[in-house]
Amino acid sequence: MGCQHLEEVYELWWLGALAEQGSRDLHEHLARQCPHCLARVRDAAETVYMLGLASKPVRPHPRVKVELLRQITPKPAPDR
Amino acid sequence: MSVELPGEDLLARVARGDQAALGELYDRYAPRIYGLIVHILPSREAAEDILQAVFARLWHESPHLRREGGSVAAWLVVSAREAAVARLRSLRMHPPDDGHQGHGHGGETGNPESRKTKSATSPPAARSARRKAETVRQVAGEAARTLPAAWLPQAKEIALIDDRLALLHKAINQLPPPQREALELAVFAGLSESEIAAALGEPLGKVRTSLRAAVTFVKHRRRAVCGTWAANI
Repeated sequence: MGCQHLEEVYELWWLGALAEQGSRDLHEHLARQCPHCLARVRDAAETVYMLGLASKPVRPHPRVKVELLRQITPKPAPDR
Repeated sequence: MSVELPGEDLLARVARGDQAALGELYDRYAPRIYGLIVHILPSREAAEDILQAVFARLWHESPHLRREGGSVAAWLVVSAREAAVARLRSLRMHPPDDGHQGHGHGGETGNPESRKTKSATSPPAARSARRKAETVRQVAGEAARTLPAAWLPQAKEIALIDDRLALLHKAINQLPPPQREALELAVFAGLSESEIAAALGEPLGKVRTSLRAAVTFVKHRRRAVCGTWAANI
C-alpha cells in the first residue's frame, strides 16, 4: 500500500493534532519501519523543531540548573 | 578562543556519565527550551519542573539517543514540547486549585477536604518536592511511548535550521491570520484539529484545511530556505 495519503499528516502527528485513531494508525505504520514514512517523519520533525523555536528564548532561574545537577548526582552510600 | 563542542560530542560525554557535559548542554539549550515551555504553560513553577525533568530524562536516555544518532537539540525540543503539552492538558482536566499543581500563589479554591488534608500535613517545601517528583515521573513515563531516535533528524539538518531560524520565523509571520491562529493553537496549546475547531467555533473541515495549508506552507519555506527541498523525499 502506498503512503501518499499520509503526506499531509506527519507534522500534525508530531504535534498531537490528529484524531486518536489516525495518530495510532501512523504510529503503528512507523513501527513497521516503512522507509518512506520514516524519512518523511524525520523531515516533519525538522518543521516541528522550527515551529517550537518560534518562541523567544527565556533564561531560566539559575536554581533550576543547580537542582538538576543535584538530582542526577548519585547519593553517597551512608557510612557504617 | 575556545571552540564550542558540537552538541552530539557533549551528548557522547553525557552518555558516559559526565555531569559537566550535561551542564554544558543545559547552558546551551535551556533558554530555547524554557522559552518554548513558558509559552505553553501558564505557571513558571510548572515550566521549571518540566525543564528540569526533560534534562533529567536526557541524562538517562543519552546512551540510547547517542547510539541511534538523532539530533540532541531536536530531541530536547520535541520532548519538552510533548511534556509541556501533556502537563497543560492535565492542568485543563485538573485545575491547580484541586491540589494537582501549585502555581505558588496560594489561591486554593478546590476541594475543601483535599485542601484541608494537604495544608495540614504538607508544608510548601514538601508540596514542591512532591510536585517535582510527579513531573519527573510523568516525563520519564512518556519515554515508554516515545521517541525512537531514528525518527529524529540528524544534527547537520538541525544546524541548517539553526543558521536560518530568523528567516524561517519570518515565513511563519507570512501565514494568513486564520492559518497562523490554528497552527499556534496546535503548537502551543496542544489542541487537536477537532479541539481547535471547537475553540474557534469553526467547522472541522475548514480548520483541517487551514491547518494543513499552514503546515505545508511552513514546510515548503523551510525546505526552500535550508536548501533541502529533495533531501528527504
